[in-house]
Amino acid sequence: MTTDLSVLDVRPSPGQPRPYHFPGFERGRLSNGAQLLTVDLPGRPLIAVRVILEGGASYEPRERGGVSVLAAHALTEGTERYSAIELVEAAERLGAELGAEAGWDSMSVSLTVPAHHLEAALSLLVEVLARPSFPEREVDRLREERLADLMQARADPRRLAEMGFVAAAYPPDSPFGRPPAGLEETVGGLDHATVTHRYGTVRDPRLATVVVAGQLEGLDLLGILDPLCADWPAPAGDVPIVHWPAVHDPVERTFVRIVDRPGSVQSELRIGHVGAPRRIPDFYPTVVMSAALGGLFRSRLQLKLREEKGYSYGASASFDFRRSPGPFVARSAVRTDATGPALLDAMAELRRIREEPLPPEELDAARDFLVGVFPLRFETPAAIAAALAGLVVQRLPDDELERYRPSVAAVTAEDARASAEAHIHPDRAVVLVVGDAERIEGDVRATGLGEVEVVREPSSGS
Amino acid sequence: MDAPLGPERSTVASHAAAAGAVPEVPFFYERLPNGLRYVLSEDHLAPVVAVNVWYDVGSKHEERGKTGFAHLFEHIMFQGSRHVAKTEHQGLIQGAGGTNNGTTWLDRTNYFETLPSHQLELAIWLEADRMATLLDALSQENLDNQREVVKNERRLRYDNQPYGLAWEKLQAALFPEGHGYHHSPIGSMEDLGAASLDDVRAFFRTYYAPNNAVVAIVGDFEPDQVRAWLNRYFGPLLPNPVIPPLRDMSLPAIIGTEYREFVRDTVPLPRLYLGLRTPVWGEPAFDALEVAGQILAGGKASRMYHRLVREERIAQDVGVTALPLVSGVAAFALVATASPGIAIEQVEEAAWQEMLRVTAEPVSADELARAHALLETAELAALQHVEERADRLAMHATLFDDPDRINDQLRRYLAVDEAAVQTAAAATFRADNRAFVIYVPR
Repeated sequence: MTTDLSVLDVRPSPGQPRPYHFPGFERGRLSNGAQLLTVDLPGRPLIAVRVILEGGASYEPRERGGVSVLAAHALTEGTERYSAIELVEAAERLGAELGAEAGWDSMSVSLTVPAHHLEAALSLLVEVLARPSFPEREVDRLREERLADLMQARADPRRLAEMGFVAAAYPPDSPFGRPPAGLEETVGGLDHATVTHRYGTVRDPRLATVVVAGQLEGLDLLGILDPLCADWPAPAGDVPIVHWPAVHDPVERTFVRIVDRPGSVQSELRIGHVGAPRRIPDFYPTVVMSAALGGLFRSRLQLKLREEKGYSYGASASFDFRRSPGPFVARSAVRTDATGPALLDAMAELRRIREEPLPPEELDAARDFLVGVFPLRFETPAAIAAALAGLVVQRLPDDELERYRPSVAAVTAEDARASAEAHIHPDRAVVLVVGDAERIEGDVRATGLGEVEVVREPSSGS
Repeated sequence: MDAPLGPERSTVASHAAAAGAVPEVPFFYERLPNGLRYVLSEDHLAPVVAVNVWYDVGSKHEERGKTGFAHLFEHIMFQGSRHVAKTEHQGLIQGAGGTNNGTTWLDRTNYFETLPSHQLELAIWLEADRMATLLDALSQENLDNQREVVKNERRLRYDNQPYGLAWEKLQAALFPEGHGYHHSPIGSMEDLGAASLDDVRAFFRTYYAPNNAVVAIVGDFEPDQVRAWLNRYFGPLLPNPVIPPLRDMSLPAIIGTEYREFVRDTVPLPRLYLGLRTPVWGEPAFDALEVAGQILAGGKASRMYHRLVREERIAQDVGVTALPLVSGVAAFALVATASPGIAIEQVEEAAWQEMLRVTAEPVSADELARAHALLETAELAALQHVEERADRLAMHATLFDDPDRINDQLRRYLAVDEAAVQTAAAATFRADNRAFVIYVPR
């Protein structure tokens, strides 16, 4: 049987795009000094609330590495009025999820709840912010869980590679050389007192922002929050000045570190170095360049290592934009016998993107994807609240998200190339390989990428 | 001509949820003359649209010696068709500002894209082109390349991961040799190596026909325009009148014996995987087991988390999941990792006691109400996404010929009462229905 499929010969053209704008938001201020950002999103009945507190893991004392994350996790483990289990049960009755997390730059407490239970859930949220008790028993348990999680991480090649990479790329005295949740040598010493003290340094409402997104029509949020926040007062004294952490890049010449994992059937590859902070003048060129290099499905790394060579299930590269320079990393997991060639291919792509401007089709692919996908990223109140939290934490202007699409569209091929030259450094990179050293060491040495060392423990110093 | 399969749905909401927070999903469910079914659901909140194409073929259709084939084939679907070059599918979708992927599971395979609404016709055309003309672009080179990619996917997710083989072992223990659920969708390295171009051609001609597929489209579009596009691009495709029936998948909902496998591996902590057979998804008993799972390990107030993790501190983590399978039998699984210094037997004993307690006495009204509230929020959260709605509409149409189950699911959870939980648990949580895969440090 045959049929006439000629209708498929003509690829359809796009219709007329509908306009899109990032949702507008309103600013207010609670009587305790906290900033309030509200975004009314009609038709979105699952409300997202995010409270951003000043002070993440990069601000904690070195000897207490991991204390911010532990404090965040312990925040919902009990208050002066509720035990841990009472708190969870109260939230569940409202169909609410309440949790807290700490990143490098800030700590945040998040709530999602159906609109009709918002008021009751907000009182639980403020209870957690205002009167956490950090019960010793729960803090001890969370600390032990973190220590056991680290044991698990060292058995997992991907987590081992991430830990090994930052340990090699950042200076020994930098907080960024370890995971934000800390490593054994400091986590083991954390307890009720250290966690309580840490939370005391981040709770100042004058440095906090409350973001509420969702269907808010008819809700008087200031009227609900202000009485609750009487229990979360500002401390005496001036508003503290927040300094942004500085980072020094210690790597002067590319070197290779193999973390031996006998029996591995793949090698986890990480190539990169200290990258760039969020607030750089060439942020948008860097985003476009990074998408073309390792963000798109048809990125250079993915096409080379996966679609052309079949070495890997996937390859990517990205910058982690923070207040201070987060890492730039290219990543892949490749079959063991392809370790050497894959490293050379990946390194060649890091060089090429610095040297030649992107051809028009690659530039268009990256820009069009980033511009077009932007509305898809903000389908839910939680995603919108998270984006606004990013503005607050990075102290970006109110219209930054509205300017995102035109700024991306304006990036030229030369802008993108120049950003690669400025922010990607193949000659002073860390090449970190987690794999079976016995089977890969010779091939890795033969690449000539740099001096090679083989280690058993990723946390050992460089 | 379209052949409507049911009355047009309007947005009538009258379910039992106290405040009715979960909005009803409206839709049209129709069929082209060649048998292609489609589900259309309008939502103009944002200028985005999701397309989800489900094929009624999964790893359960694979024969001995050809495990992993449905999934390898899914990769071939991105290697080009008559009018689309290798990887150009992703290039066109991403260039249109969209995202896309495909997944293979025991019961089915699906392909989906989410994109700005003015690009919808492109997605429909791309899906039609590969459903119609995939074999035009098939080459030994592309097959060999994707075979290597899939082998690397297997290494990444299974062979090079701590505990990575646990689910594969659990499937093999729960379902007997020769049963369609006995093996994992990723398949074996040996079978992947043996897959040939002829296998690809035969698989395509057998299963990738319009009468074996469902297209769901959700978001910002005008239904008559989309009907016209579906007619235009999918209309000329020929159905396969002889899709072979699935092998007999019937199995007792009880294993009938206990299975226990110890795996010595380079893992730091012992971990227990316990699988039990259950009635198929779609049976009320399965819904009741999902609610039981929520009460047992669904959050930090759940019985197992409270006892094993918070109070006795014998486990690092505990979770349960009900695998929503539809052919003959489904499964319920528990995973728990021992805390350092704790014997896995101690974890097993405490977990099993909690499972038996659900069979012995009714759960409390408060536990049930909390489980219902959490399930309601989870539905509300999931249905926010056009992609998820399209996936679920296509799923319910493919597996049950009933897209309205998207709206029924919450009602079904809310209809589960204390007695239903106890009855379903008693039928499933039996000593002779347990398959254990236990990892212990080498």
